[in-house]
Amino acid sequence: MGALPQLVVSTILLGGIYALIAVGLTLIFGIMRVVNFAHGEFLMLGMYLAFWSFTLWGLDPYVILVAAVPIFFGIGLLTYALVMRGVVKASHNVQIFTTVGLSTALQNAALVAWTGDFRFVRPWHSGVVIRIGEAAFNLSQVVAFLVAVLFTATLVAFMKWTRAGRIMRATAQDVEAATLMGIDTDRVYRLAWAIGLVCVGIAGVLMSPLYSVYPTAGLQFVLLAYVVVVLGGLGDMVGALLGSLIVAGVEVIGSYVFGSAWKEVIYFALFIAVLVFRPAGLFGQRGAETLGA
Amino acid sequence: MKRDLPALILFGLSALAPLVTHDGFLLDSLIVILLWGAASGGWNVAGGYAGQVSLGHSAFFGLGAYSAALLATRWNQSPWLGLLVGALLATVAGLVIGYLANRLKGPYFGLATIAFSQVLLILASRWRAVTSGSEGIPVPFRPGLWTLGFQSKVPWVYLVLALAVGVYLIARYLETSRPGYQLAGVREDEDAAEALGIPCRRLKVAAIAASAALTSVCGGLWAQYVGFVDPFYVFSVDLSIRFALNSIIGGIGTAIGPFVGSLLITSLETYLRATFSDFKAGLVGIYLIIYGCLLIVVVRFVPQGLVGWIGERLRAMGRYARA
Repeated sequence: MGALPQLVVSTILLGGIYALIAVGLTLIFGIMRVVNFAHGEFLMLGMYLAFWSFTLWGLDPYVILVAAVPIFFGIGLLTYALVMRGVVKASHNVQIFTTVGLSTALQNAALVAWTGDFRFVRPWHSGVVIRIGEAAFNLSQVVAFLVAVLFTATLVAFMKWTRAGRIMRATAQDVEAATLMGIDTDRVYRLAWAIGLVCVGIAGVLMSPLYSVYPTAGLQFVLLAYVVVVLGGLGDMVGALLGSLIVAGVEVIGSYVFGSAWKEVIYFALFIAVLVFRPAGLFGQRGAETLGA
Repeated sequence: MKRDLPALILFGLSALAPLVTHDGFLLDSLIVILLWGAASGGWNVAGGYAGQVSLGHSAFFGLGAYSAALLATRWNQSPWLGLLVGALLATVAGLVIGYLANRLKGPYFGLATIAFSQVLLILASRWRAVTSGSEGIPVPFRPGLWTLGFQSKVPWVYLVLALAVGVYLIARYLETSRPGYQLAGVREDEDAAEALGIPCRRLKVAAIAASAALTSVCGGLWAQYVGFVDPFYVFSVDLSIRFALNSIIGGIGTAIGPFVGSLLITSLETYLRATFSDFKAGLVGIYLIIYGCLLIVVVRFVPQGLVGWIGERLRAMGRYARA
């Protein structure tokens, strides 16, 4: 098995990036109980942010990474105030179609503003190939992986050990009790939404040197992120990390064995199988999908 | 009868339209409005009446389109047969997805249906030996009723109108019949319905299958009318959203709602296309931006849809007039 080290390394690198997309999605779901169908569009916006700063000002995506955090936090606060705030307590259907509407509007705004052309961000580091033993990978991939892991770890630590994180988890566990304890749930939701968007925005910037940038670029990755998040149990951050590795593994091994054309069928089949047999995720509690979740 | 008045007006005017005008553009708009209305009405059977809000109904639309196109091109059969085969395939697909996703609620059901339509998209765009892959299938024009090829748009108006009326009548049946009331029970409170002895699981699966068959027939006719099947269009998430959007804007769970929604959305689309296509084709996407914003506003402020909203206004005015 000469290909084995390469497969393992590719799986881990890819899994790290998927994790960053999925963590934002699962955070928003865990706390707000909203499945964000517009998540992919924020990924796309992150990719365009990197593309335009690279093309117009020659800024490296890694430089723009620093600016992306406040930018996406701001976008998060804005979209929360304009769109999400009124539907946090509404029914599932209202929430689904609100985020679907947001997705359609953003996707086509990008299409009208920047056309449907495929665009590329190719800074110097995307061409640097690193070899360790039999495995080869490029520098952008490694940096994306490292930043993604660092960011995800920071977020998990934030949720676990800070006061704000505890408040957010308390709200996720029991909204009414949290409200009675004097927690301002509106602020919690706003923060969760904004942090979720920062995660996916960062992911977009990191992925820009590796993939092409176009208005519907978010769709394929966000479908993946749903697979990851459902596998790990919606709302479960550590589950999302494991789910990312599983999905990345399926993708890498699937493309190696069946050719890359069919890899999507494999993970969608996996997705449907998980939804059908273990909808609460591989590690979640049984029956969660039929509750108010 | 009073409830059917808006439908009588809408369908009546559609039937009269070909007598008044022969303008290709107007008739084409009418056909498209009725066709999207019928497809959305098909979605509404599952999404509105049974509360199974699907985000993957393009799967069934695409199955219908591919069945009609493949039977016509590969095996030289009549598209009518294609419609039948498509409806059967979609029914089976609806039974399968309905059975598999039976326990899923809300976002989980939506995700499962999206995944299902994506699997079909990948199959259609990659399984080159059968589907011609991602370049799609041109449907040959063969004149005649049996082969569904017409020089004029007038037969198409009546064909699509018949389909629309059929979908409307099915929806009306669901509003006034025992299975319809049972479905409403399942939608509003499944546990209570189950406790009353209503076979919830079976009813939900049946509603999805029927909804799938209706949507598939629309897909088959659409393929024949447009003359080309593109997998990335017929299986797209956008199309699934469009079915849901028409119903929601018009009034989810009402018989006429999907047609009212389609009238608004499709006219807006056609108008913007006609206006912007001359100088800047890229601006056509504006209608989709409006469509997204409209969706956000409607579900937030008029969740019952325009039909329900207008009904409420009229009743309020009636009360006011009597007082």
